[in-house]
Amino acid sequence: MKISYKWLIELTGLDWNPEELGDRLTLCGTACEYIEPADQYMQSVIVGEILAINKIEGADKIRLATVNLGERQLDVVCGAPNIEVGLKVPVATLGAKLDGGIVIKKAKIRGIESEAMICSERELGLSDEHAGILVIDSSATPGQELSELLGYKDDFMLTFELTPNRPDSMSAVGIARDMAALASIKVNKPQFELTESNEKASDYIKVAIEDKTACPRYAARIIKNVTIGESPYWLKKKLILSGIRPISNVVDITNLVMLELGQPLHAFDYDRFGSKEVVVRMAKEKEHFKSLDGADHELTPEVLLITNGKDAVAAGGVMGGFDSEVESDTKNILLEAAYFNASMIRKSRRQLGFVTESSQRFEKGADPNIIEYAIDYAASLMQSLCGGEVLSGIVDCYPNIIEPLKIKFRPKRCNDIIGTELSSDKMKQIFEDLEFSVTGDSDFEVTVPTFRPDIEREIDLIEEISRIIGFENIPASNTNIGSLYTPIHYEDKFKKETRTVLTSVGFDEFISHGLADSKLANILHTERPQLNIANPISEDLNIMRNCLLQTALTVIHHNVSHRSLDLSIFEIGKTYLPPDEKDYWAEDESLVLAVTGNTQHTWREKPRPRDFYDITGAMEALAEHFGWGEFSFSPKEFSFFEKEISFEVLLQGKVCGLIGKINPKVAKKAGIKQDVFAAELNFDYLLSLSNKLIAFKELPIYPAALRDLAMIVKEDIKAGELIQQVKKSAGKIAESVEIFDLYQGKQIEKGKKSIAISISYRSKDSSLEISQVDAAQKKVVDSLVKNFNVEIRDK
Amino acid sequence: MSVLDKITQLQEEALERIGKADSLDSLNDIQIAYLGRKGLITSVLKSLKDLPNDQRKEVGASANKARAALDNLIKEKKENFSGGKKLSAFDPTLPGTQTQSGVVHIITQVIEDICNTFHGMGFEIARGPNVETDYYNFEALNFPPDHPARDMQDTMFVEHDRLLRTHTTPVQSRFLETHKPPIKIITPGICFRNEAISTRSHVAFHQVDGFVVDEGVTMADMKGAILAFCKAFFSEDVKLKFRPSFFPFTEPSAEVDISCFLCSGKGCRVCKYAGWLEILGCGMIDPNVLEKAGIDSERYTGYAFGMGVERPAMLKYKINDIRLFFNNDTRFLRQFK
Ligand SMILES: [Zn+2]
Repeated sequence: MKISYKWLIELTGLDWNPEELGDRLTLCGTACEYIEPADQYMQSVIVGEILAINKIEGADKIRLATVNLGERQLDVVCGAPNIEVGLKVPVATLGAKLDGGIVIKKAKIRGIESEAMICSERELGLSDEHAGILVIDSSATPGQELSELLGYKDDFMLTFELTPNRPDSMSAVGIARDMAALASIKVNKPQFELTESNEKASDYIKVAIEDKTACPRYAARIIKNVTIGESPYWLKKKLILSGIRPISNVVDITNLVMLELGQPLHAFDYDRFGSKEVVVRMAKEKEHFKSLDGADHELTPEVLLITNGKDAVAAGGVMGGFDSEVESDTKNILLEAAYFNASMIRKSRRQLGFVTESSQRFEKGADPNIIEYAIDYAASLMQSLCGGEVLSGIVDCYPNIIEPLKIKFRPKRCNDIIGTELSSDKMKQIFEDLEFSVTGDSDFEVTVPTFRPDIEREIDLIEEISRIIGFENIPASNTNIGSLYTPIHYEDKFKKETRTVLTSVGFDEFISHGLADSKLANILHTERPQLNIANPISEDLNIMRNCLLQTALTVIHHNVSHRSLDLSIFEIGKTYLPPDEKDYWAEDESLVLAVTGNTQHTWREKPRPRDFYDITGAMEALAEHFGWGEFSFSPKEFSFFEKEISFEVLLQGKVCGLIGKINPKVAKKAGIKQDVFAAELNFDYLLSLSNKLIAFKELPIYPAALRDLAMIVKEDIKAGELIQQVKKSAGKIAESVEIFDLYQGKQIEKGKKSIAISISYRSKDSSLEISQVDAAQKKVVDSLVKNFNVEIRDK
Repeated sequence: MSVLDKITQLQEEALERIGKADSLDSLNDIQIAYLGRKGLITSVLKSLKDLPNDQRKEVGASANKARAALDNLIKEKKENFSGGKKLSAFDPTLPGTQTQSGVVHIITQVIEDICNTFHGMGFEIARGPNVETDYYNFEALNFPPDHPARDMQDTMFVEHDRLLRTHTTPVQSRFLETHKPPIKIITPGICFRNEAISTRSHVAFHQVDGFVVDEGVTMADMKGAILAFCKAFFSEDVKLKFRPSFFPFTEPSAEVDISCFLCSGKGCRVCKYAGWLEILGCGMIDPNVLEKAGIDSERYTGYAFGMGVERPAMLKYKINDIRLFFNNDTRFLRQFK
């Protein structure tokens, strides 16, 4: 909301400069966001008197005006049709920066030197009017600054960012009230005189409210014989600096009163109203209404209407109707001041699809009891500025009077909550400065005026005290509250350690938001249901992911398309499913690992493709860190993996994930043209395993005997099977069994491979005899030959 | 002593002196003494012609060998003294061999920083679901039924009548229901808003909320805790400005600005020349919120606060595009090792 600085000063009589005013209001909750000079488009614009007008040879539309600028005379080229000798006009001189980006510089127009411009209202930022130049009151002195003449000099346009709970500050008086409370003074509310004629308004209009919840109060006045015209400058200025376009004196007055008091008003053309009766009711299904802007609306029963008993003449609290609009020939005014239910107006304007100054005020909560004052103030202005005759009486339909709320307030409670030691008297003073009335001594009963509908409870009153004394005056305590010991949850520790292990083996962490594309999900876990977003922001973010593989592919796609081809990445994150039949909403955590591209190329190490074993290596690092034991892999087809490299992952006998090489067709659909290997593990399961305490194992006393064994086996025999067999045959003394060479190529028969194993034999009780080792080794060899038909090399 | 023995003796003598030489000058002296025009080895060579033919060849070879060996050694050692030329071809400037390590995502790092700071102040971490009910996300937090935040344009809904939480504050509603005061919790996590994705805004962002409920908790406690956090997280000399504001779940409510840590409050482009950065919202927990969770709001009071994670991260690291966090471009991620 925008408001003129001078207006606030006028209402309070305070001498705060604009910055001080902005800062102080901000610190009490009425945030002042911007302060702009009101005369920004009027600098170097001065009053000129037209002395002569001459034709310019060869030009029809433009003429040369000689203007008296007080101390000098200037010839100005002007295209406006309405210039006349003797008129006083605004002249923008060198350096002026006008609205619309026009800057006045020396220029030649049709061979004539020109260094000034006669302005229309639009160029001065006063209105959209640009058909002719602005004609200034004849009493103005040539050479006078325009901003001074019109009152813009030293004024500022203040922009306030208001919180939704403060409808009262949507008016000049409302903001002034906060200023007054801060300074402990009273607001100078507008004073006016109103003379009523002998005719009674009630003879001209009746009011009936059908829906008293939607419209608790509707008041009307009749003003006869107005002369529609322009408003005076002071009035236009107040509207302009609030961002409201002046239209005509009658409409401008309704807007001025709304800006000043926060009460929206509406002026109907009485003669076009269509009847002598106002009926307030909800719209009928499919009823039509033509709004001020000429648009036709088909309504639903959610829209509140002002009718003439038959047809809609206004959408109550939102916008007036086209047919009863005040026009230049309007003579008699039906002036409306009403109080509408906030949520009703919100529904209405949503249905109609627009927000207006009026609807904004009603939907936040207006004041039902300011209506007489507001309507009288507007009527008095119509009397003095439009020559109207105000008929006697307000036709006021207010069946159930809304009383101010009385709230119990304990000063001690207030101090207990905000942490201060304010006296009861100080609190009482603050309430009175806010125009609340207070009775009682130790505990108060505070009467809250109806312009503060946000205050309903003691805590709301406590907030008022805290914001008026200022949060900066509440001390900051320097002791800690709470228990002596704060646990770190194992889950957090586990996640942190997982990240440390994975980054230490070269994996980068990525984070996803979880919104994903159903098209990609459809080719991954096809059997898994998807949780759809009801109102997605775009087609490719239309579900919550049901696996992490999907987001890993998305991240790889992004990187590969930016030429980062070599990646090892992981994420710990949630997957989502629709609720099951028991309405359980699964949000399980997974760990995804993915690799693609090559390993790093350095001066001593040649790159090789990242593959399956880079992932299992990282998994082994985790298993080792957390003491899980070994992962095992059991072949299982997944449609999104390549058939040959597609496994379930088992740990401690339980399936806990999957691993494989992404099927190139799937990768291609994800926009990736290189090999991708990935594993997705059930993180919650891993977490459940991971609280193992490490127990120290005594260091060996007796030496180990190392034996190597190279053999040729059929290529489909798995290294793991051989190792299992070796361990089984060698018995307890096999301390470790490792693969140290693997070869498949020209030297070996096709369909076979060479594997070399290193076995470490050790006993913890004694030095092993050679014969013991030989015997064990023989058992190993025999069992390998027997079970796997291996051919031992280099015996 | 044979000539050959003499050569050997001279060579050993010279070697010893070269070994002890501690300057370029002393090396020059040694060079002149043995290899110069009148040097000792030179004179042996000069005297070859006096030797019998059968010895001349052998002695000549030996003397030349000694001469060459000494010459090389002196040259080598001279390089040592003449300004750090290399002793050998060994190249220490080749890049060291590293096991390439990965990087923890910057958002994880910032959340961890925030949580560690609060943990030091006695806060415990709590988490909750990302898919929430209207009740925990709004109703339990005192949002009126037709509050604009509940509109489709602000909230993302999923099917089956749930929504993606718009803040991490619902963890507070859940926690209050299941725990008794004293309570002192922070709730890091992801949140969602139905917003177009641009450089300044995203459909998803992270937040850390915190709240404390106990007997006698005051706004002064809240100010103290927030001040302590900002000092630890931003800088020791940070200044705070509390501006009254409005949140449905706190009363009174405040926005907290910190003095800009990039310009120390003097004004810069990042703080839009205001000298202040808006960083956090806070307030005393509304009695309605406590009562809804079955906590006696007369006996217990509490405060709550909430802050974004991306925004302070962007300020701190001068990141100009919020989308970078979720793009996971490794060229970006690896800058925060
Ligand atoms: Zn700054």
